[in-house]
Amino acid sequence: MPRTCIRFLRRGEVVELRDVEPDETLLEYLRLREGSMGTKEGCAEGDCGACTVVLGRRDGDRVRYEPVNACIYLLGMVDGRELVTVEDLSAPGEALHPVQAALIDHHGSQCGFCTPGFVMSLFALYHQGRAADRAGVNDWLAGNLCRCTGYRPIADAALASCTGRADDAFSRRSARTAAALASVDGEDDLFVGDEERFFAAPRSAASLSDLYLRHPDATLVTGATDVALWITKQLRRLPRVIHLGRVRELLRIDREGATLVLGAAVSYADAEEALGAVHPDIAEVLRRLGSKQIRAAGSVGGNVANGSPIGDTPPPLIALGAELELRRGDEVRRLALEDFFVDYGRQDRRPGEFVSRLFVPRLEPGQHFSCHKISKRFDQDISALLGAFRLSVSAGRVVDARIAFGGMAATPRRALRCEAALTGLRLRSPEAWRPAQDALDRDFRPIDDMRASATYRAGVAKALLAKALLEAGGTPRSETRVVGAEAERA
Amino acid sequence: MAAVMKPRDPDVTYSQVGTRPKRPDGVDKVTGRARYGADVSAPGMLIGKVLRSPHAHARIRGIDTSRAEALEGVKAVVTRDDFPGLDELPDGGGEEVLVDVACNVMAREKALYEGHAVAAVAATSARIAKRALGLIEVDYEVLPHVTDVDAAMAPGAPVLHETMFTRGVEPAPSEPSNVAERSEIVQGDVAEGFAQADVIVERDFRTEAAHQGYIEPHACMASMSEDGSAEMWVCTQGHYSVRDMCAQILGLPLSRLRVTASEIGGGFGGKTTVFIEPTALALSMKSGRPVKIVMDRDEVFRASGPTSSASISMKIGATRDGRITAAEGELRYQGGAFRGSPVPFGAECCFALYDTANVHLTCYDVVVNRPKQAAYRAPGAPMASFAVESVLDEIALELDMDPIELRLRNAVKEGSKSIYGPSFGPVGMVETLEEARDHENYQAPLAARQGRGVATGFWPNYGGETSVTLNVNTDGTVLLSLGTPDIGGSRASMCLMAAEELGVPYERVRAIIADTNALSFNATTGGSRVTHSAGMATVQAARNAIDNMRGRVAEMWGIDAEAVEWEDGYARPSGSNAGDFEPMSFAEIAALSSQTGGPIAGHAEINAAGAGNSFGTHVVDVEVDDQTGAVSVLRYLVVQDAGRAIHPSYVEGQYQGGAAQGVGWALNEEYIYGEDGTLQNPGFLDYRMPVASDLPMIDTVIVEVPNPGHPYGVRGVGETPIVPPLAAVANAVARATGRRLTELPMSPPRILAALSESAEAG
Repeated sequence: MPRTCIRFLRRGEVVELRDVEPDETLLEYLRLREGSMGTKEGCAEGDCGACTVVLGRRDGDRVRYEPVNACIYLLGMVDGRELVTVEDLSAPGEALHPVQAALIDHHGSQCGFCTPGFVMSLFALYHQGRAADRAGVNDWLAGNLCRCTGYRPIADAALASCTGRADDAFSRRSARTAAALASVDGEDDLFVGDEERFFAAPRSAASLSDLYLRHPDATLVTGATDVALWITKQLRRLPRVIHLGRVRELLRIDREGATLVLGAAVSYADAEEALGAVHPDIAEVLRRLGSKQIRAAGSVGGNVANGSPIGDTPPPLIALGAELELRRGDEVRRLALEDFFVDYGRQDRRPGEFVSRLFVPRLEPGQHFSCHKISKRFDQDISALLGAFRLSVSAGRVVDARIAFGGMAATPRRALRCEAALTGLRLRSPEAWRPAQDALDRDFRPIDDMRASATYRAGVAKALLAKALLEAGGTPRSETRVVGAEAERA
Repeated sequence: MAAVMKPRDPDVTYSQVGTRPKRPDGVDKVTGRARYGADVSAPGMLIGKVLRSPHAHARIRGIDTSRAEALEGVKAVVTRDDFPGLDELPDGGGEEVLVDVACNVMAREKALYEGHAVAAVAATSARIAKRALGLIEVDYEVLPHVTDVDAAMAPGAPVLHETMFTRGVEPAPSEPSNVAERSEIVQGDVAEGFAQADVIVERDFRTEAAHQGYIEPHACMASMSEDGSAEMWVCTQGHYSVRDMCAQILGLPLSRLRVTASEIGGGFGGKTTVFIEPTALALSMKSGRPVKIVMDRDEVFRASGPTSSASISMKIGATRDGRITAAEGELRYQGGAFRGSPVPFGAECCFALYDTANVHLTCYDVVVNRPKQAAYRAPGAPMASFAVESVLDEIALELDMDPIELRLRNAVKEGSKSIYGPSFGPVGMVETLEEARDHENYQAPLAARQGRGVATGFWPNYGGETSVTLNVNTDGTVLLSLGTPDIGGSRASMCLMAAEELGVPYERVRAIIADTNALSFNATTGGSRVTHSAGMATVQAARNAIDNMRGRVAEMWGIDAEAVEWEDGYARPSGSNAGDFEPMSFAEIAALSSQTGGPIAGHAEINAAGAGNSFGTHVVDVEVDDQTGAVSVLRYLVVQDAGRAIHPSYVEGQYQGGAAQGVGWALNEEYIYGEDGTLQNPGFLDYRMPVASDLPMIDTVIVEVPNPGHPYGVRGVGETPIVPPLAAVANAVARATGRRLTELPMSPPRILAALSESAEAG
């Protein structure tokens, strides 16, 4: 029998909720049901970070703290976690938490509306076990907007308080919290509601496939970082929600020979190291995807399954030759990732079928890889375009090319004509690259929207190709990098 | 009678003013305890939601609310029919025309922009209220629209108001148009000035509308009682103005409406007027229950008050040795669907910094199908300064002259006549330029594709009506009641000034923002007026309390009050002739108050004059990526005259915050309208404000040239920091790339296009 209530840890107590609307957000719960008004709503779409709360997740006998946007986090997804909000960091009459005290000492709060979100992001950073530097602070604060300060006093507060040595009530009771979380997060399936309206979080792939076959119209979520906007912005009701974030098999990161096997529910944050080992550019793309809050919730599998033409992970995965595993009932099939994207908003996925795993091959010797994200703003922005290049080079010539772009067509897609034009090309003869660059015009008719014009996209795509060729030819990356320049400087 | 106060001896050092204590509202803000607009509720409270026009311009033929009213949980629906007619309104007066405000909060004959309110619902939950909005049927006759300022001025443009005939034109036009007003600033003879010039540069500029971008959406709660009096809880920069506008729009006497200002999550000028507040009150009147309305973020973008977009032509001439001989410009600002764009401020500010004999600026206040603009930090000034400071940079390049040197040769000084009339007193224009020139950032080496930009900015600063009460408690603590919502740390600054006057420690003084019933009138927090005006009122209230205490001590000692002086928190005999008495401390006198005549308080109700003008110089270094057009800001320096920094950290906070907003406006922020006149980017996802990695650690230098019109020498500091960044960044980009961008924002696609143009041309 599945469990029929969600359970989470809150202020040292186990909270059990039986009345959970499938599309109820964590922020609604906090403000409307719990009456905790410290967590603010600034945008209801995960951009401003005023609603940032921290979730504690068991990691052995310790607890790992991650920030999420409560406005686009579904209440049911809190199951099995410790929920920490701004009200919890210091008790009345006791000293303020070090990050709170530092924000006051450095005058990091002006109007103060964004402050609870910054406090929680800094609280998570405080618990990372590494002293913060300015680049790291920027990364941890990319999901928090402040309009008053220009960020300097907040960064100063972060540098002063996040020294790598956590010593607060949370670190001191970490082992106890971990034990409590172990008892909260059982091995049972979770199903709250009835057949008409439910929030479900199966624990195994088998339970998931059974449930989804019974309810092929249910909405699947891992982090709900996109789906929650249907609720908050489009005002849609989602009667049946299946959360993949508890499915054991979908949370695994494995290797099969030289191939990385990534479960579909592995969060961006958890995937960063493994994908970064394939190539650092992928880690850099992940680092700039959304914010810490988004990356703690959302998943690579969700980014792929969602099928957006501007998803950040499909182009590098396609360029690497990644494959996708889909499961429906007991039936499992595997296909090349580029074949999954059929058309705008349409993927090769049947009713009741779900993305279960991704297979990412390692780069072979002689293969040069690079990946560039172009957006108006460096951090926390939607890509205008994203180009990924895998060039196999032998004796100064391109012998094989796999190139994929996002933002250039209705789906993430390979540049087949360009790839063909590149084959046999000498890397040391930039004057001979022109045909391959021009081939991009035949491969794509880029979209024209407010994020970038078609002309801009087409022009920058060619510039990125030239960079990839330069880099493959041995020109030092530091001089040719388009993106990541900030990170390298820092 | 306007209040003027002479400064204390400028050589006196202060024990508290100029220190950096923690803010009194700090703990509540970091613990989540501070209560903002959306954080309160009341028994029986309903949630209000507003139905907004999907059309940029449409006649409203009819509104059928019957299906919405029938929905279970809906307690009230209001439309234009629930508001008193515009002809019943008292004559507006004040800064805004009341008829326009009333028309903006609820559309009457026409919806004038996408997002214009046409109806509102109060229901038992937000979800029901939203569903009810979908049941309201509005019969629109869609009309042609115009959202661009130049297009709105062109012959044949769709006309928004059939009754709008351009003011300031002789003879008065016979046809209505979208130009509300034409005005001029004329000084000297520009033709003669240009004849003396060795170099003349003329350019056209365009800036897009930017939003203040406060993180807290507008929120309010209104509660109407059976006896016809009402209470409101509002996030606003001016709760008195909310009271006055709501009461007048709905026909209540001012005594029947009590407004409390919540903690405010940013305003920057955008919360100086009303949008949802009269509607919440109307819904409460109709339902008999408290009603809360909180805007969604997309409503904030579509239907609050972003700033104007502008189209500007600017021509400046100078001699070979860098003397500006003449300036001629045309400023065209759209103010949204109603008159009142800040174009006159733009004209006043952009040439106030320079001692220029011949200036001719022509201003056009234009209406378009966009939301009614509201103030945004130094309203109107950044766009005009973008034009002037860009042209000056080109002149400096052409003359091969350092851009700071060029400005020093023209900078106004004490005694210079300002372009808008009065002559300047002591001002810090020259000092800010010299500090910027001597700062290490100005010497830092630059690499390829990097450039350094300089620009200056001005804001006149304001005073205005202000009331303050200072209560002396028997335990020797002090409570200040202020009527100016605190958007930049003013509670801390007022506590510092009160503590300095009284001679008590800062920690013993607490300040609150009192409601509209507790104090007499207070003008809105805005225009960089509060530290000056409320500061002056606080000082007067403190001196008033001190006089009261001196009188009591004199009575105890049996001497004249004049023979008791106040020094460092003690009442002392003023000299040996006054007698030999042990000085009494503030706390001792406070403790004896019940025996010496009862409670002690000081108060001040003033109309503050003597605001000191504000000048600033910014220096920015950027790097331009010639492959993508992306601009990184490497260094940023703000130098500004604060007169006297009461709390230097909060002065620096204003400098940094204004610069950050200006950088966003320069590089990425913009209102993007579709062909259909609808806003394409009404969210933080596509309205790109700077995040932490977009900005360097912004450096600041506080210059202090005391303002003789304030007891501590204060000059307001909030507005000026947003004035120079637009041009400073553009000048840096021009020097990094050799291409001058005259259209904002300088987003990557626009920069790349400019670079490829120059590649093709060159």
